[in-house]
Amino acid sequence: MSESKTTSLYDFHLSKNAKIIDFAGWSMPFSYDGTLKEHHYVRKSAGYFDVSHMGRLRLNYSQIEEINYLICSDLKNISNTKALYSIFTSEEGTAIDDVIFWKFEDDLILICNASNTNKIKTHLDIHSINYEDLTTSTDLIAVQGKNAIDTVSNIMSVPDKFSTLKEGKYVYARTGYTGEDGLEVMLDTNDTLSFISELEDRGVKPCGLGSRDTLRLEASLPLYGFELTDDISPIEAGLKWTVTNKEDYLGKDVIDHHIDSKEHKHLKRFKLNAKQIARTGTICTSDGVEGIVTSGNISPILGYPIGFVLFKSNPTDDLVEFDIRGNLIEGNLLYKRFLS
Amino acid sequence: MSETKYLETHEWYIVDGDNVTVGISDYAQGELGDIVFVTLPEVGQEFSKGDAIVEVEATKTVAEAYAPMNCVITEVNSTLETEPELINNDPVGEGWMVKAEIKEMDDSGMSYQQYESFIS
Repeated sequence: MSESKTTSLYDFHLSKNAKIIDFAGWSMPFSYDGTLKEHHYVRKSAGYFDVSHMGRLRLNYSQIEEINYLICSDLKNISNTKALYSIFTSEEGTAIDDVIFWKFEDDLILICNASNTNKIKTHLDIHSINYEDLTTSTDLIAVQGKNAIDTVSNIMSVPDKFSTLKEGKYVYARTGYTGEDGLEVMLDTNDTLSFISELEDRGVKPCGLGSRDTLRLEASLPLYGFELTDDISPIEAGLKWTVTNKEDYLGKDVIDHHIDSKEHKHLKRFKLNAKQIARTGTICTSDGVEGIVTSGNISPILGYPIGFVLFKSNPTDDLVEFDIRGNLIEGNLLYKRFLS
Repeated sequence: MSETKYLETHEWYIVDGDNVTVGISDYAQGELGDIVFVTLPEVGQEFSKGDAIVEVEATKTVAEAYAPMNCVITEVNSTLETEPELINNDPVGEGWMVKAEIKEMDDSGMSYQQYESFIS
């Protein structure tokens, strides 16, 4: 196995006594003060995350037609200051990766999952789409939280929600993965430490991948490799809202079929009234329909276990029985987001 | 009271006459991350050495604490049901899990020094 990659902030994380884990081949901070504390920093004030392990590719605006053919959303017709969450789809209509595009008038920044950077690069190569890989020359810092926008407004201009901006050394968008408002900021690796110290001077706390995961789960956001894989379509993963591409794109036939028919897998949210967490891989049944938990953890805000479960077909009942280490634990499917 | 002893499965125990108090080590709580739920046994429940007596759900993973010797539960730390974070904050003190009456003494656990070298 090749040696784990590190971001430019690795020594900084060690100096903060971060617990380090391997994630998608990168040595990344799991937590600094503890996952629950960091979760609450973001829900109640603000935190920052080093997410520089995520792939960052600069694409040519002139190839937007070709790029639009590879995703299920309409990148072409949104304005040149928008950020767009979308999914690269395969010919079979399944998800190759879920990504963010930052659209500018002169170029596009594509941010993909760390585990999929090579897969996306190969996919772009196959479709003759040029890119410049910025993953190691830049860092990506997510500033997220209830007070994140107030705080960063003292450092930089704040764009509208889901909008992008380039200002001085910062290339960024008002996006995130925690359910809170905030920015995701790309900057040259030489500028990162001074940016972080400006954040820390304003009380923004470092947060690791542990709280990033509990925050995204509680915010009902999917994680590639768990809720979304190259075995299922965006529709099966409950991401029909991303399908806005009106033109032809890779996998469109299958995805259109999934929209029209209920005969496919269904990803659902659940909660448990128990002190057990139904974790990834837990088997469950709902009125005879078998499912498997894709992610599960405590919701630190709600205080009970929550998660996503992928059913083989559409369950007709809200009651679900989970087999947690041999004990049958009852749970309920939810039709709204975990946090209102 | 005898010294605190440790098991390879990361429990600690202290023998006091016919009774034993059990919890998990500071190293174990650090590896588990934030503990959010604890399922404790019933008073009167009997366990053999190596049986799972307590289930600990943490943000990172789930773990069980095992009986250090054959024993019968006499008291559980029910505060943990509402404040499971006591195990993170004070694992070998206020984060104790159960007290039990010893049925068959087995004091073969490691000393703290031995445990330290075991985990390092």
